[in-house]
Amino acid sequence: MNHNLEQIKQDYQNIKVPDSLKQKMEDSIKQAKSDMEREKIPARPGRRRNALFQSWVARGCAGVAVAALLLTILVNASAPIAYAMEQIPVLGAVVKVVNFREYKQQNGQMEANIKVPQVRVGDENGEVMEHASRALNGRIQDYTDELIAAYEADVKASGGEGTQAVDLDYEVVTDNERLFSLQFHQTVTMAGASQSEKIYHIDKQTGNMVTLKDLFEEGTDYQALISENIKQQMKEQMEQDDSKSYYLEMDTEEWNFQEIAQDVDFYVNDSGRLVIVFDEYEVAPGYMGVVSFEIPTEVVEPVVKEGYLGD
Amino acid sequence: MNSPKKQQLVEQELLSSYESLYRLAFTYVKNEPDAMDVVQESAYKAMKNAGSLKRGDFVRTWLCRIVINTSLELLKQKQREFSRETIADDGREDRYCDFDTIDALEILNEKERAAIVLRYFEDRKLQEVADALEENLSTTKSILYRSLKKLKVKLTEGEVCYES
Repeated sequence: MNHNLEQIKQDYQNIKVPDSLKQKMEDSIKQAKSDMEREKIPARPGRRRNALFQSWVARGCAGVAVAALLLTILVNASAPIAYAMEQIPVLGAVVKVVNFREYKQQNGQMEANIKVPQVRVGDENGEVMEHASRALNGRIQDYTDELIAAYEADVKASGGEGTQAVDLDYEVVTDNERLFSLQFHQTVTMAGASQSEKIYHIDKQTGNMVTLKDLFEEGTDYQALISENIKQQMKEQMEQDDSKSYYLEMDTEEWNFQEIAQDVDFYVNDSGRLVIVFDEYEVAPGYMGVVSFEIPTEVVEPVVKEGYLGD
Repeated sequence: MNSPKKQQLVEQELLSSYESLYRLAFTYVKNEPDAMDVVQESAYKAMKNAGSLKRGDFVRTWLCRIVINTSLELLKQKQREFSRETIADDGREDRYCDFDTIDALEILNEKERAAIVLRYFEDRKLQEVADALEENLSTTKSILYRSLKKLKVKLTEGEVCYES
């Protein structure tokens, strides 16, 4: 090796590695493990439910992750079939947040502030619809219990010496004739964090929880129709705006967005259109945040069941 | 080798070579916060994708490859942001003047830079360099050869500049 190269090598070796790097990297490792643990549950063979490329670009010493949880109740307007069922839906059902519990903890540099709302689904006569209320409250409870358990596990693991803040708040974002949507804002602040989104739905006709596939006729390839439209939207957005970026046609094939999962997060917006929601990092680099795509109704019209989407 | 085992292997390797990975990232992104981001992000990706690792003895070079790719992605992203903000491009910035000699690596393309860093600064075997670059041995050799030649020209030029 010649003299000059030796000099570069010395400079190279003199690059100071920040003391905090090790801890941060360990946080990343931990984060990856816990994300994988979490993802095990909904994992299905052959489907890319979870983005392979989930990561974050944490600026400075703290990464802030904001996660939102939307609970949407589909108030279905087309009732005829439902009368045959036991849980009779009622048009004009009323959903209200009746009260909430608060989980507050402070352990040294760690704190949690989690609001757990309770929802009441009532029919037009003001009678409580037990089944629907229980289903929704149960999901809220599961979700918040998981959050609390994760926080408590972190406190235990670090002996209370960690640095972390968990905050959960909610708001009613939609309350119209058809929809009642409860959005949760989850903020987790620590050295590294990743963002996730969950949206639960109740079909008030049956009181059952529904996922995306329940909106479509059986045996139809709604996933492909929607995915193609999303890819097209990604492309258009990137062409029109240089600052936008999605995992599409990247060199590393496995990171590219391929197809939505059967139970990808979604909601139906004010215009009655389907909106597909992706977690941060799922289909785009972290700076893009949570991204969503409104699907034109004509795209899915041939396969969607009646009553779920607007005209 | 099953996935949990691979993951364990990746974790061990991350913990033992994160400093090298940081320096490698630094030669691309040239500043501390970005290099830290790259290492953290790479660690996350590596842990999550440990299952796709084919052979255990590739883990080091595999990590290097992830760091290089992640660095390039970050640069690409920054470039996008930068090109939106900048009106006129009047030459090179001089904010990296602390690392004159490392700056010399700028003359090399991505592959060449990785080859030089891994082979000469990290003292990796030629085969490992080839693995990290996903090239065969003879191509790797010629990349190294070409890089050294480029560097020599650049450094000679540099000396004239800096010493006059």
